[in-house]
Amino acid sequence: MSVRRDEPASNVAAPAASTLAPYDEMLTPEGAVRPHYGALDARLSTLSADELAERQRTQERFFLLQGITFTVYGADSSTERIIPSDILPRIIPAPEWARIEAGLTQRLRALNMFLADIYSEQQILMDGVIPRELVLQAPSYRREMQNLYVPHKAYANVCGSDLIRQPDGEFAVLEDNLRVPSGVSYMLANREASRRVFPGTFRGAGVRSVDRYPDLLLTTLKGMAADWRPNPQVVVLTPGVYNSAYYEHAYLARLMGVPLVEGRDLVVHDNMVYMRTTTGLRRIDVIYRRVDDDFIDPLTFRRDSALGAAGLFNAYRTGNVVICNAPGTGVADDKAVYAYVPEMIKYYLGEDAILPNIETYLCREPAQLSHVLANLDKLVVKAVGASGGYGMLVGPHSTKAQQAEFADALKADPANYIAQPTIQLSTAPCLIDHAVEPRHVDLRPFILCGEKIVVTPGALTRVALRKGSLVVNSSQGGGSKDTWVLSETKGDHK
Amino acid sequence: MMLARVADSLYWIGRYVERAEHMCRLSDVMLNATLDRSEAASQVARIALAAVGDADVAKAKNPYDAARALALDRDDDGSIFSSIALARENARQVRDQLTTETWERLNLIYLRMSDPEARRSFEDGSQLFLHDTIADLHLFKGAGDATMSHGEGWSFLLLGVYLERAQLIGSLLEVVFGDGRRRKPISDHFALTSVLRMGCALEPYLRAHTADMQPRLILKFLMLDEDFPRSIRFCTQEIEAHLSAIIRHAGMAGSVGPDRLAGRLRARMQYADMDEVEAQGPSAFLKTVLDECATIHRSLYDAFVAYPLEDRLPA
Repeated sequence: MSVRRDEPASNVAAPAASTLAPYDEMLTPEGAVRPHYGALDARLSTLSADELAERQRTQERFFLLQGITFTVYGADSSTERIIPSDILPRIIPAPEWARIEAGLTQRLRALNMFLADIYSEQQILMDGVIPRELVLQAPSYRREMQNLYVPHKAYANVCGSDLIRQPDGEFAVLEDNLRVPSGVSYMLANREASRRVFPGTFRGAGVRSVDRYPDLLLTTLKGMAADWRPNPQVVVLTPGVYNSAYYEHAYLARLMGVPLVEGRDLVVHDNMVYMRTTTGLRRIDVIYRRVDDDFIDPLTFRRDSALGAAGLFNAYRTGNVVICNAPGTGVADDKAVYAYVPEMIKYYLGEDAILPNIETYLCREPAQLSHVLANLDKLVVKAVGASGGYGMLVGPHSTKAQQAEFADALKADPANYIAQPTIQLSTAPCLIDHAVEPRHVDLRPFILCGEKIVVTPGALTRVALRKGSLVVNSSQGGGSKDTWVLSETKGDHK
Repeated sequence: MMLARVADSLYWIGRYVERAEHMCRLSDVMLNATLDRSEAASQVARIALAAVGDADVAKAKNPYDAARALALDRDDDGSIFSSIALARENARQVRDQLTTETWERLNLIYLRMSDPEARRSFEDGSQLFLHDTIADLHLFKGAGDATMSHGEGWSFLLLGVYLERAQLIGSLLEVVFGDGRRRKPISDHFALTSVLRMGCALEPYLRAHTADMQPRLILKFLMLDEDFPRSIRFCTQEIEAHLSAIIRHAGMAGSVGPDRLAGRLRARMQYADMDEVEAQGPSAFLKTVLDECATIHRSLYDAFVAYPLEDRLPA
């Protein structure tokens, strides 16, 4: 089986600004295999198309049997599907990873300092680095968090940033996810699967281990309460079995060995949080919540929410329980605030951003808005509050009618939109219908922050399985694959 | 220490899994009986349908359709499919409590029964289909036994299994031997062996009583045998044992009700006298047993799951 060479510059409709061919993770522009893909390429050449397809089926079966599925609700029945998982790993060499790791650490440090600042003195707003109304009027800004003690000033404890590789080979940050980022279970499940599919190649390549993630997560969470309780009780709070990420919630709880609770298991009494056990009430110290801010406490946030516990936020204010991530972290991953992250890094750390941002037009600025309106066919327009690939316009792939619709929306509520140039995501080889073909990928590494910041040496690589598509979200036909981060020293030893 | 909701789910996994297995066995025996065109065969079909709680006698005329509906009907809460789906849904809600080995077994059964091809494979070989389902349910329990910690959660799961089993066998015996029956007493050899098959008791019975099929001995075996795992007495022994294990784990000895109820029921079965049971009629005795099972179920909720919060708040 040989790797199909990339077709010339990926699509006809591509605008002038991005006619640059996408970066190919495996092949140089001349068509040679990059050194870190050498072993995989050699292994692939020994396997027939049928053998590869067989391995793909085995992998899918593994996911199905494990129940790593999401439910698709149809008109009269619901079916469970797996999120497609491609068997060919995406490989990142050590020096590139070192840069990513340094960049992510720097970024999360700055973001947490920003959160600590805007929820206390608001120095950065006073100094005019970021427009005041941009932060304070963002729907994700939580006034309730003002002047609240957060251990280690670690507001975002779990962060999943979306990186993309630009045509010149540089990684850039597309988005920070500081609310309840998901996908880490896919990183771990993909790893478990790919070890079985390419055991020899895996062993020989010197892939860095991601297995410690649950253990590091638990340490991070415990560290958030260590000041006041010697052996804190940690729980994972899930919205329940109908949530699309439920598998991940159960998976993390199981691997950390802590209870998986739902809102209905919680009781708040005297500003302490308890869970209902068979033997009565048991006090909880740290809640790793996988429920959005809006839903954690009907007394403080949305009144109609049944997913949280009444009184939870007051218990948090009192300091009797820690909620991770802290409520209100969303203001730092707001798509408009995003544009200012490089300035934030400069402001708090006095450093230049190691990982660049994608150029972003803020439609709230009249000059930038008119530029965006004039170039709707070339830009990607995103609603500030939306996520999951919804509420966005991909200019080059859109119709005139869609553009007109967005133009109206932009004029009506400019502050709600940002625009970015259409970036050619890099491509990586994927197994598509018995053939190895390039598909666009992004990269979501996971960063933990408690007493210190830890970047897990691995990531979720999301794949746009439709040919030419740049949308990697699983809700929009995306899949995923394992990501091998290689260690400095190659081979069978650490 | 275990979440009350989790204990509740584990308990129901046990109940649903046991119910599914029992329904498979009833269907299997019913289909097997249809191979014979005798009076006894339709009697067996009627017993099976009555034991699953289906009062529609007309269905006994077409046992095959009845069995298929019982197996795969998605809209019927009492079907095997529904029991499996509910067991698996409960398992999904407490996925973190089950070992991967245990979960995989249950998920596999569910995936096969929910497959669009399930109907076809049932029609291709209905008895094989039921047989495989029963075998997989055994694998599920076996995987749990071999890989899960035998702590509080395991005891809740088995409490569900044995309470359900005691009630199912009790209902079956009521259908076959109860006084309310207007049918003539069952004396046919084939019908009697079929009854034993419905309780998965044929081979153990033969070993205990040889091939001498006597209604009285069958009733006694399924009710009062000490060692047979599907006799009501055996179930009550297990219920008592798992309850006291739970109470020991919880460190709440002497303060709960279900253990007293379970001990009394176990003693009732242990010291039952067959002559007395027959003298007052098996129905009266079975009714007491079934009522006490229901009371144990309720008191489990009162003690461990749906207890009033005011009693448990810290002072």
